[in-house]
Amino acid sequence: MSNTSIRMRERAAVTGTDREQSRPSRATGPRKRRGASGLLPSGFMWILPALIISVGLIYYSIAYSGFLSFFSWGGGRQHLKPVGLDNYTEIFSDPVFWMAIRNTVIYFVVVFTVQVIGGVLFAAAMHSRVIMANVYKVIIVIPIVVAPATMAPAHIQVWQSDGTLNRILEAIGLGDLAQSWIGQSTTSLLVVILVGCWGSIGFGFILYFGAMTQIDPEMLEAGRIDGAGNFRILFSLVLPNVRSITISLAILNLITALKLFDSVWLITQGGPAHSSEFLGTMIYSETSGASRDLGYASALSIILMLIAVATSIIVQRSSRERAAARPRRGRRAVSEERNV
Amino acid sequence: MFETRTVLSRVGLQLAVTLGVLPFLIPIYSMVAKSLEGRGWGNYEAVLAVPGFGRFFLNSAIVAGGSIIIIYLATLAAAFAFSKLRIRRKEVYFWMLMAALTLPEVVLIAPLYSTAVALNLLGTFWAVILPIAALQIPFTVLIARGFIDGIPDTLFEAARLDGAGTWRLFWSVLVPMAKPIAVALVVLVLINAWNSYLLPKVFLINDDMGVVTLLPEFFKRQYNDDIPKVLAAAVVTAIPTIVAYILLQKQFERGMAAGAIK
Repeated sequence: MSNTSIRMRERAAVTGTDREQSRPSRATGPRKRRGASGLLPSGFMWILPALIISVGLIYYSIAYSGFLSFFSWGGGRQHLKPVGLDNYTEIFSDPVFWMAIRNTVIYFVVVFTVQVIGGVLFAAAMHSRVIMANVYKVIIVIPIVVAPATMAPAHIQVWQSDGTLNRILEAIGLGDLAQSWIGQSTTSLLVVILVGCWGSIGFGFILYFGAMTQIDPEMLEAGRIDGAGNFRILFSLVLPNVRSITISLAILNLITALKLFDSVWLITQGGPAHSSEFLGTMIYSETSGASRDLGYASALSIILMLIAVATSIIVQRSSRERAAARPRRGRRAVSEERNV
Repeated sequence: MFETRTVLSRVGLQLAVTLGVLPFLIPIYSMVAKSLEGRGWGNYEAVLAVPGFGRFFLNSAIVAGGSIIIIYLATLAAAFAFSKLRIRRKEVYFWMLMAALTLPEVVLIAPLYSTAVALNLLGTFWAVILPIAALQIPFTVLIARGFIDGIPDTLFEAARLDGAGTWRLFWSVLVPMAKPIAVALVVLVLINAWNSYLLPKVFLINDDMGVVTLLPEFFKRQYNDDIPKVLAAAVVTAIPTIVAYILLQKQFERGMAAGAIK
């Protein structure tokens, strides 16, 4: 599945929480109208299909993963061999696992940073007077609509030894830098990360572009009168106003990094020598091939899920704490505006 | 946003943006240029002439269509009930659903693979459609409920006073009213299902069940790494998505931004 789906769901989780909490009256609504609620038809049957498909399948899978993680199992007809906690202890002493965690962290930090800066800059540029803005917009967004799996051969073409990038480098006199980007363990992660940036800036762009239409132009005007330059306005006035998007993007990118599979598998297969291994590729390798162990894959899945849940809760918590401090800054901006 | 008072600064901005989008074009340029190497358009003819090429698109359409129908019906029904009907412990069910929002699909493949084997579902479209639906529904329900909450209750009460039953409320009031959000969600599900790679790779093991994201690998096997043809196949695969995006730009962007912008 494309990264988009996870991004969307993840972001919805963030905004959904805020929405539910800002609307406590909803939960008590039906109780208030108890007398009239007899008139309301019962809706349980209506939520049943969604519950069965989604809650049923997902909770079942998690429970089954938890069960399998205590066994060693080659799948199919082979019998389950109980191993206790061995899968988990093996994972934590597996250098490949730590390599995958390290790669995930690096991937997250770089792609998130590039996505925020690139997204904000492009969104601001498209809100300025630029000729043929729509053409640029389409070019920026195409990478997020075309499947990573479809684009993978193109990326290989760019990065391989006799590929486009090396030819560009030679053409501009930097031929010394030309190298086998995908094939050596020092640069394979870089390729995966840059491909990730390529495929995600457009998403940041769409969200920031939409959010910027809702910024009060008077506030920007006030900033300008105070003598702020374009970039000062962008990073001191615009960016704080689209903070909720930045937080959503942080969580989305975390999940994307944790589940990364498509482009990594097709471009580097996690190699060479596990240098671009991610949790997604590790789990997939354990579920396919002759030496597969679905128990080990399940234990990895459980760990991945726990990391995903824990980190999104932490990001949401800290963002909410900081959000509580935010109104003050907002008011100060308003009063500054009045002074002007 | 950027203020460009002078001609110089306007040209500068235009130039900066142009330079900025160049990296986005490099892979696309490489793909198209390399796909024309050797026999030129003959590569495309060869790719299109491969028996079963259309089958990949048909299979993707089946996966996307099946996911859309299931998600559309389950989502609107659930969002309608969560928003407008009486359910005991409503929020408990809602949060059971929402807890699945952050789940990466790679977590599902080990348990689902063994289950699919046990139930003989391996190599059927259900093995892909159902997990896609399961993973998307929490999100689509959240967005649709937010939208339907904004439709005034009085509208439904009026229809009920006129004697409409719940079915009638759903089909004659809710479905037409929820059309804007439904279109955005359908476009989103379409793209996600069309672009899904891991689930089809694991579950659609039969040769005649490949989806478009599996095409590059198929052609690698077919042509023994004849790169121009593999890339020609990738271009042919990418074109429908790009055309669909350009035609549905607004709906697509609304789908992506739904829920993010309050």
